[in-house]
Amino acid sequence: MRGKVKVKVDGIEVEVDPGSVVLDAIKKAGIPMHSLCQAGELYRGASCRLCLVELPNGKLVPACAYPVSNGLEVYTRTPRTLRTRRTTLELLLAYHRIECWICKRKGDCILVKMANDLRLEGIPICAECPLHSDECLLNKGILCLGPLTVAGCEAECPATGGRCWGCRGPITREDVVVRALRRYRELGFTLKEVIETAEIFWSAHPFLEKFKLLAEGV
Amino acid sequence: MSWTLMNRCCLKCWHKPPDNPCPNYVQCRIKGPLCHDDPECRELRARRLNELEFGRYGVKVRVAIASCTLAVGAAEVYEAIRDYVKESGLAIDISVVGCHGLDFIDPWIEVVRKGYPPAIYANVSPEEVEDIISRYLSGDVSKAFALRYRTGNAKGEFHVPTLDELVFWRKQVRLVSSNCGLINPESIEEYVVRGGYLGLARALRMRPEEVIEEIKLAKLRGRGGAGFPTWIKWKAVKDQVSDVKYVVANAEEGDPSAFSNRLLVESDPHILVEGMIIAGYAIGASKGYVFVGTEGDLAAERLKKAIEEAKKYGLLGENILGSGFAFDIEIVQDAGRYTSGEETALLEEIEGKRSTPRVRPPYPVTKGLWGKPTVINNVETLAHAAVILRDGWDRYATIGTEKSGGTKMVSVSGSIKRPGVYEVPIGTTIRTIIEDIAGGAPEGLKLKAVEVGGPAGGFLPVSEINIPLDYDTLPKLGVAMGSGVLVAVDEHKCMVDLARQFMAFFVSESCGKCVPCRVGTKTMLSILERISSGKGSEEDLELLKELGETLKDACLCALGNGAPIPVLSSIRYFKEEFSAHIREKRCPAGICPVSREVVRYEG
Repeated sequence: MRGKVKVKVDGIEVEVDPGSVVLDAIKKAGIPMHSLCQAGELYRGASCRLCLVELPNGKLVPACAYPVSNGLEVYTRTPRTLRTRRTTLELLLAYHRIECWICKRKGDCILVKMANDLRLEGIPICAECPLHSDECLLNKGILCLGPLTVAGCEAECPATGGRCWGCRGPITREDVVVRALRRYRELGFTLKEVIETAEIFWSAHPFLEKFKLLAEGV
Repeated sequence: MSWTLMNRCCLKCWHKPPDNPCPNYVQCRIKGPLCHDDPECRELRARRLNELEFGRYGVKVRVAIASCTLAVGAAEVYEAIRDYVKESGLAIDISVVGCHGLDFIDPWIEVVRKGYPPAIYANVSPEEVEDIISRYLSGDVSKAFALRYRTGNAKGEFHVPTLDELVFWRKQVRLVSSNCGLINPESIEEYVVRGGYLGLARALRMRPEEVIEEIKLAKLRGRGGAGFPTWIKWKAVKDQVSDVKYVVANAEEGDPSAFSNRLLVESDPHILVEGMIIAGYAIGASKGYVFVGTEGDLAAERLKKAIEEAKKYGLLGENILGSGFAFDIEIVQDAGRYTSGEETALLEEIEGKRSTPRVRPPYPVTKGLWGKPTVINNVETLAHAAVILRDGWDRYATIGTEKSGGTKMVSVSGSIKRPGVYEVPIGTTIRTIIEDIAGGAPEGLKLKAVEVGGPAGGFLPVSEINIPLDYDTLPKLGVAMGSGVLVAVDEHKCMVDLARQFMAFFVSESCGKCVPCRVGTKTMLSILERISSGKGSEEDLELLKELGETLKDACLCALGNGAPIPVLSSIRYFKEEFSAHIREKRCPAGICPVSREVVRYEG
């Protein structure tokens, strides 16, 4: 193999092997960058469009598939890349069936990490919870508000054995709430006690009214 | 089969493809014989030329048979003429030709007789045929729609305008479509008589780089929509070192209301064949593919015939005209769809895969069809290449704008007096095309907007159409040249409803490969449906804009990038209509379901 290729990522100069993709250079530069395909060889369809980076000419290209060349400059955190990344992730989540409390990826979810990075709400604490479904507090009969609460705290309370009180605020996506409420009922909780627990932190939240309505309909 | 110009005139002619082809074969057809001087051979040619012009018996009827005329009953007209000629025993030749592109006069016929002006009759019904022909034969042309030229001794001649006197013909510059509606698309002879394959003969005497230089000087840019300079593409492929290279002609017009390519291939398939051979020679390819969608049945049939005939006379195949260059063309016909128009999706489809776009780079010029360097051009671009090589770049470059030479075929439809395909110089203003050439809105209607460049092109309000149609001006206004589609929208249409319809089109046509297009179009559609049913809010408009900008930036291919443009441009120019739906809960045009509900409550 001939010499290395010099690439500038957000102003940081890195050297990578020729034939690699921009994502490799970004990783080498130590810039955090999530991508669903992770490695260039795994899948290079470049279809999720979450790792778009901007070139100096204003074009957005997928980092996971764009080949490096000498003197290439890319920017990973421009307003445009952040906006498109955020909207694209939102679109991806919009058609994602969010039932984190029974999901196998529990505690190790790329989507929730990206969502937290881009300040997107809508994924419950369960996605971050290290307790797997058989150890889940709900299975032990403890009324944990994890399925209804916005993720982002790394599930601190459940991780240390305590239940979630919903201090980060409610998830406002209706389909997620409805599914979570059904789950509570399946496990033998009454919706009345769920609402009472929720009122502790959410009593002033504008979503509470809607939440009660949804609970009636379940 | 009688003697045609394509055959040898006497035993002295030694042209025998592919072993011993004559390099002057094409020129010899009309100017010949070139290798020997024999008055008899000259006489034979002159007689045949006359026969082609006026038929074997001095009278000829041209019947336009193309998709556009067949849709309004040209087949019945053809049968009526055939029956009439048979019954009356008149000595008349009937010739099938393509279409001019003047769709408002379909179905049309043209009667030609030596010494009389050739007369075009518009909107012919089978019952009128007898009257038209017998009147014409008696020297009365007063019922004609137009004359091709005047010769000055027919009755009523001066009441009928010639084509050049008509504004929609005069303002056109017909380069690639010059043969459309004039020649039999299934006859190579008629094409050659009109100067066909001279461009190929000229190109084969030049070096490939000289051919590319010619295209460069002519300032030809891709007619498929993006307007990429053709010579850069050709040169990039020529510079690639590879044993196999390909030329791919894109004849799939995915855009609804785009029909100029279909008209061109149906009416003059040989110009595409010629352009492809020239492209193949310039880049060093030996194989070409034409992709035709399912709508192009007639086009594919005529193209197939054209390829067969070109092969028969040594203009395609091994050792073309003694140059040692070999080229072959294959037609690929498949279930075309909107994404097939995208060049890499087209390659996938030719390879037999699902038509989804590929990631670029690598670009098709380095890794295209089956991983080999490939030139993909729109059929119109290739036809322009044939014209440039025939006429020379200097004449071609004077037409058009400074950055982009030549002409563009535009398909005009919608609420318009004279729908059709018109060929205009690049840089002609949209107002000229819509109001002068196409005649503006029909009686009693007023135009509100013009959709420019197909579904991914966008809407322009009528106040803004005073701009030139070229590749540099349109993007500044938030629309695109696209496939050269102009659709006139009158006041009785609702922009919200149109935006919704276009979005529904994109939802069904999205290939589903990338997230922003697959989910984004669907989300935008549900928002638009919410607005049109009167349940929208102000935030919805912001949401549409945000989603639209994301789609424009983030999608994998140009089709996804173009999907939000109709919505964004209609919000940009017709915001008051959206506001009426959102705030006042009414549809100004009375089309969206919101207004129907209001009517019901009031009643």
